[in-house]
Amino acid sequence: MRANFPVRLGPAEDALIAQLKAAGADAAAERITVAGLPTRRVESYHYTDLKTLLRAIPPLATAANEASAPALRIPGAFNLMIANGAIQNAATAPAGVIVGKAEGGVLTTRDDVLVHVNGALAREALTLTLENSVDPVIQVERRIEGEAAHVADALKIFVADDASATIVETFSGSDAAHVGNHATYLSAGKNAVVTHITIDLSARAVSHFATNEYQLADGAKLRTLVIHAGAGLARTHVFPRMAGAGAHADLTGLNLVADGQHADITMETLHAVPHTSSQPLFKSIVRGRAKAVVQGKLVVARDAQKTDAKFMHQGLMLSDEAEILSKPELEIYADDVVCGHGSTCGMIDEDSLFYLMSRGIPKPEAETMLVRGFIAELLDPIEDEELNEALQGIVDGWLMSGK
Amino acid sequence: MTTPVLEIRNLHARIDEREILKGVNLIIPPGEVHAIMGRNGSGKSTLSYVLAGKEDYEVTEGEILLNGENILEMEPDERAAAGLFLAFQYPIEIPGVATMTFLKAALNAQRKARGEEELKTPDFMRLVKEAGSQLNIDNDMLKRPLNVGFSGGEKKRAEIMQMALLKPSLAVLDETDSGLDIDALQVVSKGVNALRDGQRSMLVITHYQRLLNHIVPDVVHVFSDGKIVESGDKDLALKLEAKGYASYGGEAA
Ligand SMILES: Nc1ncnc2c1ncn2[C@@H]1O[C@H](COP(=O)(O)OP(=O)(O)O)[C@@H](O)[C@H]1O
Ligand SMILES: [Mg+2]
Repeated sequence: MRANFPVRLGPAEDALIAQLKAAGADAAAERITVAGLPTRRVESYHYTDLKTLLRAIPPLATAANEASAPALRIPGAFNLMIANGAIQNAATAPAGVIVGKAEGGVLTTRDDVLVHVNGALAREALTLTLENSVDPVIQVERRIEGEAAHVADALKIFVADDASATIVETFSGSDAAHVGNHATYLSAGKNAVVTHITIDLSARAVSHFATNEYQLADGAKLRTLVIHAGAGLARTHVFPRMAGAGAHADLTGLNLVADGQHADITMETLHAVPHTSSQPLFKSIVRGRAKAVVQGKLVVARDAQKTDAKFMHQGLMLSDEAEILSKPELEIYADDVVCGHGSTCGMIDEDSLFYLMSRGIPKPEAETMLVRGFIAELLDPIEDEELNEALQGIVDGWLMSGK
Repeated sequence: MTTPVLEIRNLHARIDEREILKGVNLIIPPGEVHAIMGRNGSGKSTLSYVLAGKEDYEVTEGEILLNGENILEMEPDERAAAGLFLAFQYPIEIPGVATMTFLKAALNAQRKARGEEELKTPDFMRLVKEAGSQLNIDNDMLKRPLNVGFSGGEKKRAEIMQMALLKPSLAVLDETDSGLDIDALQVVSKGVNALRDGQRSMLVITHYQRLLNHIVPDVVHVFSDGKIVESGDKDLALKLEAKGYASYGGEAA
């Protein structure tokens, strides 16, 4: 950036800078003053130009006085809540689960404006330590309630060696034009088996940003699923770090995008050591004039021989005006690896539709079956029945809202 | 006179400006099995798709009456509910949709369209088990995604099983014998014959006579260049087998 060509700052940037300065985060404020919000020229924001898309930043949130209805009920789950950035009291935790608080800021520092802002503004982090395998699903509700508010909140999860757990985060709240900047850091110990699901169910007026960072030790198995099914503007940035031999991650995501919405899942996986594997599989279903983005970057470190990773993005267009954008990137410094990428995009298959209808299934129901079939690969591996049903319910609800 | 199960009157249909059906006339009374034989490309599958209501085809002339009711304006699902079933020459593979889920949806959709109550799960399971056992279809196959990875024989058996469950008044079987070895052919034919009950009618489309040794038709029609050119009893099939289709004109297959 040349100092004699300062970027022109808009009202969103001005508000952000003021909030950062008031919080004493002068360095973060200075970065935005100099560079502004990322535009399409910043690779990781190529299809999600924040400078254009993010027009306003509401005031920082104050305590929540009222609460909307839970956006997703998972029978039998252990529930925790962060409302307007503040950690709420919870019921007694199941055995082996230690719930705590830490100072804000859970993400590794990196060159990303949302990471900086979250680090500067998140006041406290909810911490979860899972000492052994936890049976019930752990649900963390992250709410933004009341008048339009800017919220930065944080969650840090440690899963002990050999432990297994399923953690679901839901994002929801009131209908106002909130801006949410959410951070989650999850560390999976040796041979831990972890499922981590984040679901945006915010209102249309909301701009939802989430950054999910993962650290996997030797032999850890991670399954992630990002679902965008709410906010008008949604972006989840996923940063898995495969840091132990034998670690494997199934990194999945689903953009459900309707007229006027923009949803973006951007993944950057680092295979840091030899003998790790990842299977990123993302799907986007788009109807109306809407945009779905998936970017997937696989970085393989120089020593990380025998890395096995294949990125895939499949799009299903339910209307002609919809846009599905895909950007795979490979950055490979090792020579003995199997890495690849692919993407496909299509409409509902007419022959399949005719086949189902010829058996008496009416068109809307047949279409729903085909769409469910399209995403079965993402939901089928979720073994907890109640959770699986709840997720299916989100998809069905989204489909119904378009009929 | 009783109303025919199927009556086709002077049916013309085309796809992409090209006329494929050029005046088909056919009457199938209740309980009868009619065979249509014709060389590849003569329009047999087109006829079956037009009967089932596939969108790609444009009917330019004529009528199709199912149990006396004109079905040309009906959607494919409405035709199914009205009693039509097409066993596809090439059943479609549908990943992500379990065969069992599909069967339940199909059965219940048709029941709903006819104002009947939905089947309870145990009743449904019992029906499926019965229909499956006759056609050597086990639970394992039913749990798999619809037709995905099924062998040619498995696909055809699955089609006949669907027919057994849906109990149509008219079944159109499009080259149900293609890709079957003799054992599979016997299983499939047995399944089909079990559904001949004196009421249900069938239109059996085939290229070869051998299927008709197993499913013995009441009437045989020869199809050539988009229409029926000769009709007769089952011996017509044998005659065709001996002579070939050459005498009916048109291009050689
Ligand atoms: N989708 C299509 N588009 C254009 N021509 C078609 C299409 N389907 C079939 N045809 C043509 O229609 C004719 C009849 O085909 P078909 O009904 O499949 O014959 P058969 O089943 O008797 O072998 C063939 O010449 C075929 O090439
Ligand atoms: Mg054919």
